[in-house]
Amino acid sequence: MRIKAKSKGGKTTVKALLKHPMMSFVQAKKAGKPANFITHITAKVGDMQVLEASTSQNLSKNPYLKFAFKGDAKGKEIEITWTDLSGKSKTGKAKIK
Amino acid sequence: MKRREFIGYGTGILALAAVPSLMNAKDYRKELPDVWKITNDAAKKGASTEGIDAAIKAIFGKAVAADGSVGLKAPEIAENGAVVPVTMKADNATRIALFESANPESTVVIFDVPKDAIPEYSVRIKMQQTGTVTAVAEVDGKLHRTDKTVKVTVGGCGG
Repeated sequence: MRIKAKSKGGKTTVKALLKHPMMSFVQAKKAGKPANFITHITAKVGDMQVLEASTSQNLSKNPYLKFAFKGDAKGKEIEITWTDLSGKSKTGKAKIK
Repeated sequence: MKRREFIGYGTGILALAAVPSLMNAKDYRKELPDVWKITNDAAKKGASTEGIDAAIKAIFGKAVAADGSVGLKAPEIAENGAVVPVTMKADNATRIALFESANPESTVVIFDVPKDAIPEYSVRIKMQQTGTVTAVAEVDGKLHRTDKTVKVTVGGCGG
């Protein structure tokens, strides 16, 4: 996944591009494969949780996500974790600029 | 004989272990599994918001009429239904959810806003056809809702 995180003016903004086919039930049927898409995404900076999302096949392939939280977190690390319908999980990290 | 009964108030402090908030991770796929199965009537071809209304009720426990008070940015015309950019924003919201009437299932994403997180989110969604995109925000237990029509010229569900 690609993560860009920046603190400015007391606020930290995060842009993430997760890599996932986000294959909906309709697409899966056509392809003859099982449907699979990200169903849950969380993000944290240290012990502080900054994102909690339950997602669906209605998000585009390779989901883009932009979110923000209060505070200057420059130099800290943000960790984003997604879980998909098949139970697979993936975590990405990035330094906040 | 005086018996002094000394009732001592224990000075032991019941220490609540600091549980990182991730332990209470809210996964609506586990908590409300049926929500994700709520559908839009395919025969209505995106024109009915009944599927959206039903999902809202299932998630928030009550219905809400669109009052336009949730910030919702979505293109009037989406050239590519596979990637429709949507931004939703609601000050002081503890939950924000997004729905659409264009695809088989109506719920797109549910955000639980953690403490110190800013209730503004941008995502890219799929829309199979022209339809309504709805953002619902929960602020102090009250629901707010904005509906927006998005015209889709090329459908994006791989169909």
